[in-house]
Amino acid sequence: MVWPWLSTAAFAQQSTPADTASPPAQAGASPNEPDGKKMFSSTCGFCHQDGGRHAGRGPKLSKSEKSDEFIIERIKKGKTGSMPAFGGVFNDAQIGALLAYIRGLDD
Amino acid sequence: MTFQERYLVGCAALAVAALVTVSPTRAQAPQDAALNAEAAQNDWPTHHGTYKSYHYSGLDQINAGNVKNLEVAWMHFPERATRGLQSTPLALDGVLYYSGSYSRVWALDGATGRTIWSYAPELDEELVAKQTHSPYNRGIALGHGNLYVGTVDGRLIALDIKTGKPVWDTRLLDSKKMTVGFTGAPLVVKDKVIIGAQGGEWPHRGPIFGVDGKSGQKKWEFFTVAGTEEAMKTWGGDSWRTGGGGGWMPGAYDPETNAVWWGTANPAPLYDWAGADWKKSGPRPGENLYTTSVIALDPDTGKLKFYHQELPHDAWDFDSSVGEFVMIDRGGKKLVVHANKGGHIFVYDRSNAKVENVWPLVKNINFVKSIDPKTGELIGRRDLSEGKVDPPLCPAIAGGISWNSGAYSPKTGLFYRIGQEWCMELTVEKSTPVLEPMAQLNIGATFKFIPPPDGPARGHLSGRDPVTGEKKWEVNFKQPPLASLLATAGNLVFVPDAEGIVHAYNAETGQELWSRNNGMGHNAGIISYMAGGKQYIAVPAGWGSLVADEFVALYGEPFKSMSKNTGALIVYALRQ
Repeated sequence: MVWPWLSTAAFAQQSTPADTASPPAQAGASPNEPDGKKMFSSTCGFCHQDGGRHAGRGPKLSKSEKSDEFIIERIKKGKTGSMPAFGGVFNDAQIGALLAYIRGLDD
Repeated sequence: MTFQERYLVGCAALAVAALVTVSPTRAQAPQDAALNAEAAQNDWPTHHGTYKSYHYSGLDQINAGNVKNLEVAWMHFPERATRGLQSTPLALDGVLYYSGSYSRVWALDGATGRTIWSYAPELDEELVAKQTHSPYNRGIALGHGNLYVGTVDGRLIALDIKTGKPVWDTRLLDSKKMTVGFTGAPLVVKDKVIIGAQGGEWPHRGPIFGVDGKSGQKKWEFFTVAGTEEAMKTWGGDSWRTGGGGGWMPGAYDPETNAVWWGTANPAPLYDWAGADWKKSGPRPGENLYTTSVIALDPDTGKLKFYHQELPHDAWDFDSSVGEFVMIDRGGKKLVVHANKGGHIFVYDRSNAKVENVWPLVKNINFVKSIDPKTGELIGRRDLSEGKVDPPLCPAIAGGISWNSGAYSPKTGLFYRIGQEWCMELTVEKSTPVLEPMAQLNIGATFKFIPPPDGPARGHLSGRDPVTGEKKWEVNFKQPPLASLLATAGNLVFVPDAEGIVHAYNAETGQELWSRNNGMGHNAGIISYMAGGKQYIAVPAGWGSLVADEFVALYGEPFKSMSKNTGALIVYALRQ
């Protein structure tokens, strides 16, 4: 499935999941584009440690075998007792930036 | 029937009538004498045992000599125990009351566990699903014939203590807008119910509320962020609008000064990048009053009487909401002892919050070099700048001290407290200001728990002089216990641990005398009470607090496979 709201940079990350370079979505985010790295550190890093590279309150996210669809759904709807639903907090573009950040993580 | 017989029957009827009328009156509210006592006796009338907050029972049927005969008397299993059980039960007139997740409440016969009534409020489930620190509840209060419980969707509810029927239901916070609600226990003081909102890392101002117990009307609201003109000046720009600072655990009351002591949370964002220039730059320039402070409020008006900010411009999330207020008299001085999340114990003059001493409970602390024991001034503070923090920060975000309470025994003169030894790698990010509702957390960093320099990540229980910190004994734990403690006149200290074992130690020596496996970790409060002339020990088991969630990565099993959606109230008594 194609997510039309994902940025080009995000697609670049998705297409090269083994790439260990810093994701361009975060490094080159323009003032008008959501910055996945910043959003992650403000909100997600409370549970997904070391920027998502290490398990903590939440699971390790780098090199996740979960599908994009699963991750997007989990961000939007959360999981009772484990993860809040962020569907009302982040718009689709922001969730796309978070996904791009996660897919760009090295270990 | 002779006149005399009729007279006697009449007297008996009057006596019964008197009992019938007196007994329910007694059952409607804890008595002032019980609330102000050093020891909880037959009842456990308030979250911290009594206003003196010793978590100490004066009962001694169960004691160091016979604790080996302690066995399960009865159990109760709550519905929807999401994130386990995190509350401290209360007991009054042989009835045990406790709360679980989603603010569900049960009244149980203290001797048998028979359900007298139960209550499950309807909550805004859509909102609850968006919350991070949810849906657990950490306690209730009794007073004015009511039982009081807060909700994560911003309400304070009064239930008739005899029937469990709602008396009033007051919305105090617009939780949809503010994110925060209530998880901490309320505190009853005179005609008021006092409760603090959640939140250190959310975009709000952490109010504490005073509500009329009879009517449910809000009487006052104190903003822990910029709640006075003096405090407003300690927040640069508009940062006060999103400052955090919730008073998320209950405080205590000192009737001699008519002061309610309350601890406040850290400011938001947790970590800022201003470094040493924090007074003038960064996301929240200034001291950020009254975050990470102990404050004394007038319960009648909500006005601030005095305060001490334990960590000015807290840059490490070591807030003051954790920590009960242990009120002791020593050498003619009236003192209060309060634990800060950073791992230090503060000792104050009860009349004005002047610092009398500060001592470290934990070994691995490097966010400051020390804290001046005479003034409370932070010496050698490590203010963080953008980028990787080196060396790693100690303690870790879960603190050197967690929110679960310690205990003090006036019999031994020892203060029993759990310390936590762990650190974390930390990278501070220059975050975008969070100004939108439901923005969830405002952290400003990524981090990873690591062991401290002197050994594995671990916990310890120690028995110490509460004023000097002098240690008499210490017991080490592979993982920090996350439940509150109980001391008793039976010369015992009870510690419910993380793996699921509840231990009883000799309060004088620290020798373990008894233990039982409750089958799941503890992160709630343990109490003792009397029912039908018999002493009971009640401990909720059930794992799943936010600190508990860290244990999977730190320790693996049994936490990896430990349920976070199960709970049980387990009540012990001596074998007949």
